[in-house]
Amino acid sequence: MTQIPETPPSKPRKPRIGVFVCECGRNIAGVVNCQALAERASKLDGVVCTMVNKFTCADPGQEEIKAAIEEHKLDRVVVAACTPRMHEPTFRRTTQDGGLNQFFFEMANIRDQGSWCHSSDPEGCQERAADQIAAAVAKAHHLAPLEVLKVGVTPKALVIGGGVSGIHAALDIADAGFKVYLVERSPTVGGIMALLDKTFPTLDCSICILGPKMAEVSRHPNIELITYAEVTKVEGFVGNFTVQVTERPRFVDLDKCNSCGECTKVCPVVVPNNFDANLGWRPAIWIPYPQAVPSSYLIDIDHCLGLKSNSSTSCLMCDEACKEAGADAIIPDDEEKIHNIEVGAIVVATGYEPYDPTPITEYGYSVYPNVITAMELERLINAAGPTEGKVIRPSDMQKPHHIAFIQCVGSRDERTHIWCSGFCCMYTIKNALLLREKYPEAEITIYYMDIRTTFKDYEEFYRRARQAGIRFQQGRPAEISEDPTTKNLIVHAEDISTGRPTRREFDLVVLSTAAVPSKGTQALARVLNVPVGPSGFFMEAHPKLKPVDAATEGVFFCGSAQGPKDIPASVAQGSAASSRALRIITQNEWEIEPIVAEVNPDLCRNTIVKCGICVKRCAYGAITADPGKAAFVTPAKCHGCGTCVAECPANAITQHHFTDDQIMGQIVALLEDNPEDKILGMLCNWCSYAGADLAGISRYDYPTNVRGVRMMCSGRYSEQFVLEAFRRGAGMVLMSGCRLTETGSDCHYISGNVWAEKRFNRIAARLKKMGIDERRFRLEWVSAAEGDKWAHVITEMTAHLKEIGRDAIIAENERVRPELEKRLERLLNPPKPKPKAKT
Amino acid sequence: MLDRRIIDGNKFNQKLADEMAEAGYDRIRACIQCGTCTATCPAGRRTAYRTRQLIRKALLGLREEVLSDPTLWLCTTCGTCQERCPRKIEITDAITFLRNLAVEAGYMRPEHRGVSHKFIKTGHAVPIDDEKWSKLRESLGLPPLPPTVHCYPKALREVQKLLKKTGFDKLVEYKGDD
Amino acid sequence: MEEHSYNLFLGCVIPNRLPQIEAATRLVAPKLGIKIEEMKGASCCPAPGVIRSFDNETWLAIVSRNISIAEENGHDMLILCNGCYGTLIAGVHALQDPTTLERVNKLLAGVKRKVKGSVKAKHLTEVLYKDIGMERIEETITRPINARCAIHLGCHLLKPSDIRPWGTVEDFTVVDELVELTGATVVDYKLADMCCGAGGGLRSAELKVSLDMVREKLEAIKQAKADCLVNVCNFCHLQFDIGQVQVNKEFGTDYQIPILYYTQLLGLAQGFTPKQMGLDKHYISVEPFLEKIGMSL
Repeated sequence: MTQIPETPPSKPRKPRIGVFVCECGRNIAGVVNCQALAERASKLDGVVCTMVNKFTCADPGQEEIKAAIEEHKLDRVVVAACTPRMHEPTFRRTTQDGGLNQFFFEMANIRDQGSWCHSSDPEGCQERAADQIAAAVAKAHHLAPLEVLKVGVTPKALVIGGGVSGIHAALDIADAGFKVYLVERSPTVGGIMALLDKTFPTLDCSICILGPKMAEVSRHPNIELITYAEVTKVEGFVGNFTVQVTERPRFVDLDKCNSCGECTKVCPVVVPNNFDANLGWRPAIWIPYPQAVPSSYLIDIDHCLGLKSNSSTSCLMCDEACKEAGADAIIPDDEEKIHNIEVGAIVVATGYEPYDPTPITEYGYSVYPNVITAMELERLINAAGPTEGKVIRPSDMQKPHHIAFIQCVGSRDERTHIWCSGFCCMYTIKNALLLREKYPEAEITIYYMDIRTTFKDYEEFYRRARQAGIRFQQGRPAEISEDPTTKNLIVHAEDISTGRPTRREFDLVVLSTAAVPSKGTQALARVLNVPVGPSGFFMEAHPKLKPVDAATEGVFFCGSAQGPKDIPASVAQGSAASSRALRIITQNEWEIEPIVAEVNPDLCRNTIVKCGICVKRCAYGAITADPGKAAFVTPAKCHGCGTCVAECPANAITQHHFTDDQIMGQIVALLEDNPEDKILGMLCNWCSYAGADLAGISRYDYPTNVRGVRMMCSGRYSEQFVLEAFRRGAGMVLMSGCRLTETGSDCHYISGNVWAEKRFNRIAARLKKMGIDERRFRLEWVSAAEGDKWAHVITEMTAHLKEIGRDAIIAENERVRPELEKRLERLLNPPKPKPKAKT
Repeated sequence: MLDRRIIDGNKFNQKLADEMAEAGYDRIRACIQCGTCTATCPAGRRTAYRTRQLIRKALLGLREEVLSDPTLWLCTTCGTCQERCPRKIEITDAITFLRNLAVEAGYMRPEHRGVSHKFIKTGHAVPIDDEKWSKLRESLGLPPLPPTVHCYPKALREVQKLLKKTGFDKLVEYKGDD
Repeated sequence: MEEHSYNLFLGCVIPNRLPQIEAATRLVAPKLGIKIEEMKGASCCPAPGVIRSFDNETWLAIVSRNISIAEENGHDMLILCNGCYGTLIAGVHALQDPTTLERVNKLLAGVKRKVKGSVKAKHLTEVLYKDIGMERIEETITRPINARCAIHLGCHLLKPSDIRPWGTVEDFTVVDELVELTGATVVDYKLADMCCGAGGGLRSAELKVSLDMVREKLEAIKQAKADCLVNVCNFCHLQFDIGQVQVNKEFGTDYQIPILYYTQLLGLAQGFTPKQMGLDKHYISVEPFLEKIGMSL
């Protein structure tokens, strides 16, 4: 049972706030006069104690805070130091250790968004720091004690994707004693690794090392393997996921089929086998490859002649053969199966797929038969492949003598995919060495831009290839043309080393194609409510410190699903993800941050008329609004973006720890003096606030006119914040959030920024009508990686601020004040709707 | 066999790259010297013209060497390098820009100067400067002169006025009737 | 019958060196419902390979002046030369930037002109394929041409692709279709996509290099046993026609491949005589091609 956090009784007595200003060695003190800041803070309402520490986060500093709490009977703590994204958890613990509720703590960022980015203007920096401290104090006035939510945990896990990474994740969790569901979309586990011949840099036989793991997965008592199935629905929250898995019908009984293969002998259908890169054939009743797990055949319903409901034939020859063979495993009326499972954690290991280079027409793939992809070569080399390991030219089935490999096809190319696919240099060198083994007289050339052989033993592998006489030519080929009679290929490339254009003839060309996100990644991301990055691969919560976590708690990524990587890294991440999952499912209870939304049932409109706007805004499905009843936010499902709060027309929803009072208090404090010189900036925790921090970390210098208010998501930026800021005389207002482009959204709450943008457009139109200069209200997307962009935006806005001029701003603000106040009144005290007359 | 052609790396600078970026070719710094441009260049296959190297020298700031390079004028502006560049660099446009700088610095083919003079004088780079062309027109049933600046002296004066305004005549050292 | 009006941009080479292309186009146009408006006082576009290579501002001023002439009656421009097309479409594109537009108009004010960048620069192929339409063209064909034609598209028809109306350089079959419409068979040849070598000021600066390029193409066309080469750019046409004579002289070869501009081919298929199409004015004799299709000069 989840606990609803307590709403505190109104506090009659005045708060006792302690302000601790950190010098951070010279990092802050080198630019800002910390003593002066402390003195100024001591004059603020509610502040009863101030102190300057050298390093507040260090033990001595923390002890000083705890001592001060006791000595001065503090009930709220404000620390002015680095970014809360760094040490908020640290100081919350300190506050708790000092005997207070940990949510009675607030931070002012005077380093990453202070001394580090304003060192060229110490005076301006001092002003900004003082204002940010005043804002933190203002918020502190309105803080309330909150209790973390505790939820129960289902001690089971789900792994989506049965490639090498998913297999290892599943085995680790299962070996630890927990039940794992392993769901795989294709009829067999093994992924791409099972299709390879040998792996680098050891030249291990791929299926030989993977096969035993695949068998283990099917045998393990703790693993329930569901193949030929997809995850179609996910509901719930960390520790308590309900998942719907849809299993496609095989028309063959998994337990009865013994893979004798008698059915294939009688099946009249012949179609390309995509497990052989479409170079080989298979019948309609088939097994992907001999070592498939589960070891069972299946019927491809799209090509089978006997089972389709509208089929005029009724073949069923396989059924006869199977009965004769004694297995009787065919199920002609097999149906889709829905599994509804409950798990505490989900691991996504859906891998990648190779890019089809047909659009790169200058290379002639799909037009010239002897231009093949690396995956096609893998299947040719593979003894279990369509030619039993003979590498031959598709045009005449002859042995090739002059073979070229071309690197980076579809990778590192702004016209297709900008990223480097990471493993192609290694697999090409591997394939070159294997070909050299098969055909010692063959001449092999690798065309490359760079050779990237970074990890353990990889550089040695590269040297081995060079010494084996594999030719390496630096220079990206511009085009391939074909000799119409011989079907040989002519490759034009500059030999960079000698600086001369070259033209060479080959009888086989292999393209090292990019690794792109698996089909269905976007759809699965929506089902799971996790973001994908701009590349289309799943986006991790933090690139350095949380490489296998999704931003959504309880969901983890491993392997190439998160970005192309080789087998050792995929295996390592599989274990990493399983360890992260085990952190949750080994516990009886899991803590959830109580920064959640709560509806005030007395103000909710849905009791009077049909509303439900909040339900529609919530990307997590955390809100329900039954007809006639007040909307209700399930605290454990709420991720705390605050979008519903800003969108509620009745102003009926609040967000704990980011209440309207707390935010308004900051805005008022920040705009106390000379508001027309200031840019009131709203920043979202995950992207723009992080980007602004990065600007400081990178020491990008920018003007001190900006004053920042942190919220969790741009979806939280209510219209009243904007209007109040202008009413208080702000020079400019800036809404900033996670990137939103045509290709996707980086929003950590999936769609908060979508609503922020819509809201911005509405507000901007209104302000324009009122006569406010368009440059004074802006929306900018700044990602966590775009420190330079943040600096640039503030610099530009400050220039505009000066251009427009103080007097013009003051005049404009005065002119629009009555209208602003009218609108604000409507927003803060919306009229109750009239119930619809019953007819 | 002495050959003191070592490049003085202290002379490397960003100035030419900056100029190119300012002119709108800011992607030029993304060049990773992959060589696709040279490999695709039809002129490069039969001359000493090396697209990639020229861009490299420009990025190193070897201004004099780039602007005085005669191979700069071997590009036919076919645009294939620009189409195939994996960094989407506007190579052809950048070459054209470098040519502008070269002409400004005084490096211009006499043949091109000749064409420019014809352009200033007649408003056409390839004018009717012999009656055989107007006779050819007539034999096809067309008027001897086309309805271009050839027929409208006022229009020609407009063109010449513009060329004076942009300083083109000075640029190509046009000194009146030649 | 629907009529489309266009401002015909002539440029330099067509009216002043290859007027047969002008004559052929003027005869073919009315049959397709194309009404030609003259761009009185237009000058050199100015040539992208020379003038733009020398000074961008000059190029911008002159191209804007030409565009302003078209804007007088507001019709889109019909352009027959790839080079002029490349210039004019780049000019219109540049004028979409307000700062550039302002700057150019300051220059043009000195000759009492103003430009808006509001008309479109359209190549002949675009006009034929998109505006007139294949059906309408087909209706005008009375005398199918039974020949094997190689095609040379030229460079600036499709590149730079981001400001062209075709969307992609790959799988461009418009000219193939236009040629097949006349009854001819399109013959593929090695290096079909290669530049003719005339552009970029190369033909004037280094004729021999320029000729070496077209020689390579001529050899490939000869190998493919085409009856003629059809092109959609008069500068390429000049390079292949006069250039072919120069190639033979320079390299001791004996290419005799007839070169036709598309409207000449179309005109023949529409029933015009070879003389009307100016095919007697070519440097490389067109007679073998005419013989093949049962015609004569």
